[in-house]
Amino acid sequence: MNFRSFSTALRQWGTFLGLLAIVVFFAWRLPETFPTAQNFLNISQQISMLAVAAFTMTIVMVMNDFDLSVGSTASLAGIVAAVLFAAGQPVWVGVTAALAVGVLGGVFNGFLVAYIGILPFIATLGTLTMFSGAAFMISDGKTIFGRDIPTEFAGFARFGIPLDAIGLEGAKLPLMTLAAVVVLLMVWLLLEQTTFGRRLYAIGGNRVAAELAGINTRRLRLMAFGLTGLGAAVAGLMYASRVASANPTQGAGLMLDAIAAVFLGMTMGREGEPRVLATLVGVLILGILDNGLTQMNVDSYVREILIGAIVVSAVAISAFGQRRG
Amino acid sequence: MQTLCFQGLTKAYGGVPALSDVTLTLSAGRVHALMGENGAGKSTLIKLIAGVVAADRMTVTRDGKTLPLRTAAEATKAGFRFIHQELNIVPQLSVAENVLLGHPAPRRFGMFIDWRRMQDKAAAALASLGAEHIDVRQQAGALATGDKMLTRIASALVAEAGAAEPCLYVFDEPTAALTASESTKLFDVIARLKAQGAAVLYVSHRMNEVLQICDDVTVLRDGRHVLTTEIAKTTRVEIIAAMTGKPVSDAIPARTTPVGQGVACRVTALDTRDLSGLNLSLAEGEILGVAGLDESSQTAFLRLILGQGRIQKGGLEVLNGPAPTSPEQAWARGIAYVPRERRSQGLMLGMGVRPNALFPHLVDYGLLADKRAEVARTRGLADQVRLRFQGTEQPVGQLSGGNQQKVLFARAIAKNPKLLLLEEPTRGVDVGARAEIHGLIRALSTQGSAVILASSDLVELLGLSDRILILQGGRQMAVLDRQAMTPADLLARIYASEAA
Repeated sequence: MNFRSFSTALRQWGTFLGLLAIVVFFAWRLPETFPTAQNFLNISQQISMLAVAAFTMTIVMVMNDFDLSVGSTASLAGIVAAVLFAAGQPVWVGVTAALAVGVLGGVFNGFLVAYIGILPFIATLGTLTMFSGAAFMISDGKTIFGRDIPTEFAGFARFGIPLDAIGLEGAKLPLMTLAAVVVLLMVWLLLEQTTFGRRLYAIGGNRVAAELAGINTRRLRLMAFGLTGLGAAVAGLMYASRVASANPTQGAGLMLDAIAAVFLGMTMGREGEPRVLATLVGVLILGILDNGLTQMNVDSYVREILIGAIVVSAVAISAFGQRRG
Repeated sequence: MQTLCFQGLTKAYGGVPALSDVTLTLSAGRVHALMGENGAGKSTLIKLIAGVVAADRMTVTRDGKTLPLRTAAEATKAGFRFIHQELNIVPQLSVAENVLLGHPAPRRFGMFIDWRRMQDKAAAALASLGAEHIDVRQQAGALATGDKMLTRIASALVAEAGAAEPCLYVFDEPTAALTASESTKLFDVIARLKAQGAAVLYVSHRMNEVLQICDDVTVLRDGRHVLTTEIAKTTRVEIIAAMTGKPVSDAIPARTTPVGQGVACRVTALDTRDLSGLNLSLAEGEILGVAGLDESSQTAFLRLILGQGRIQKGGLEVLNGPAPTSPEQAWARGIAYVPRERRSQGLMLGMGVRPNALFPHLVDYGLLADKRAEVARTRGLADQVRLRFQGTEQPVGQLSGGNQQKVLFARAIAKNPKLLLLEEPTRGVDVGARAEIHGLIRALSTQGSAVILASSDLVELLGLSDRILILQGGRQMAVLDRQAMTPADLLARIYASEAA
């Protein structure tokens, strides 16, 4: 192995090694509470909403687009479901309507970007505000909670599959985690194993060339944004289920973390392209840092500074390596 | 300056030699051609003398005195100027700003840009190239390709205060993006630079140009020096043999079968935003050349058939049906397209050979893609176009220009297209690859595929086409039978249409 391929390998695996380093660090500083099966299961549940949003965000980022509106889409979806629950509708109606809102919002983004030709940054910045406003309007700016939220719905976040069979007495694999894994698997199949996904990568590689080579770039971009909107709605529902309530700002933090996770993952791509399994690494880094730093009683503002600095330095190291390699 | 001598040029990338002990001597007032197939080491040589890439070994002497040359700044200081085939102009800025790009702008009170002096300086540089017609105040993006090239050269002419007068101009495939008449203007400029006493290193694949404007030639093969001689003392055949290491004819295969009976494409009194008054029909198996001075109307014509652009008046019938309404539909109906700019319009450079060759033809085998079948297809296609590559997953950005062009060709012929649309199919492609591509075009035509070939390469146009459409300003000037036409005749017709 010559120097160049070694440094490329180091760059590609650097982010993964960083993840391992973080795990080892916390296991060393928090030997009692961090490296336990229960804590890892907790982490997996804590990150499941971010994971779903980040996995589906990867779909648009493959095309060099991105979606700033996922946070408000998530909030809006949660509010729509909760309002319908409060009006006495069954769970399936609320959930279906929320998912439909997500898809429609995403398709609207895709329409603005692909057919009208607005830059994704501007188009989704606009819809971010629109969706957020809609969430406030529908909910009257109030949090919907308590008896309005059906127990079946809130129960989803509390249930898990008992893991006694594999020797973890009393531990449960949360359904939320399972949902995130299912989304991961579906996005992976879609992006890596179907022509749909590979055409998205073609659009990301060179949109003009893709169009001239007979790829319907407009329709594909529209559909991809629709899927990202759907993912945001799923994440919003998971969040509402977890806190058994819905308020119009609860998805707000999702967008930046989701984009950060994809960027962290992109440092692992051969050509800096997003891959959904790499996004998973990004999500894990963010989630484990948050969990570990909280356990170490690091002040939440300091935590934000640390996490931001780690994201920036990981991307910086990768950019530096790419220029040299 | 009398002579500039580069000795022992050696460079290896990751242990693979790209250039081994090459010596090149350039003389003032002479144009020296550097030739070789794709991957022969021409680009590496230029990068070394531009100081962009550090040489493993290199000695540079000017009139016997050693010249330091380790960085791009030192190359500029030594008076070396480089004009690349990619037109590095900033389209948003004015011509004057582009000409003075990289130089400190003249100022008033040390603060504000002195626009008047800036424009005068730029105009002077352009005038020394005989390009007074370019308005230095207009946006550079609006210029015709040839004028962009002139702007670029003018920018190379502007000397920094304290820097030596330019003593060497390196042109790297300068005509690749130019039309025939723009090339002629460029040759005038080169003659001017030569008369001013500069040495010129001219890199090109186009044999005719080299024979026409160069005084000496050096040929590289596989990173080694093979031949240096005066152009007057050598022949086309000798140069080609030196480049390929075996005698290869650059003759274009002639038609051996008659043109088919069916109609592949019929254009009647067609007007679009960019085209007007087009009237012609194309038979199955026929090759229609498209020539003219402005390449944008050629592109508009081919893209219209590909389903981009809107018909305002008249009719367009393609493959016994209406014109396709999107490239997606066009490919699905057996129309294939090789765009003019392979890097910006053709390829996903970061992606592998397999996806690049198969993108228009992806099929899901059941629910999921069958990568094994795709790899097999890619290998078959690569064999057909004689692609030199390391594997189906190698990013095409790593291939040489000629091999990138072959990937585009592989994509176009993958499904035996009924109608093949080609723009500059052999641009920047070496002699061997060029002959192979010409062979493929002829073979497709023999099988009954109709071909529309837009090219600024007159030899190629005359060698392959059955008829030649001359487009000027979007208008159909003539459809000529190529029989008994020489490049000079064709050029005369093209110029005649420009004057009209």
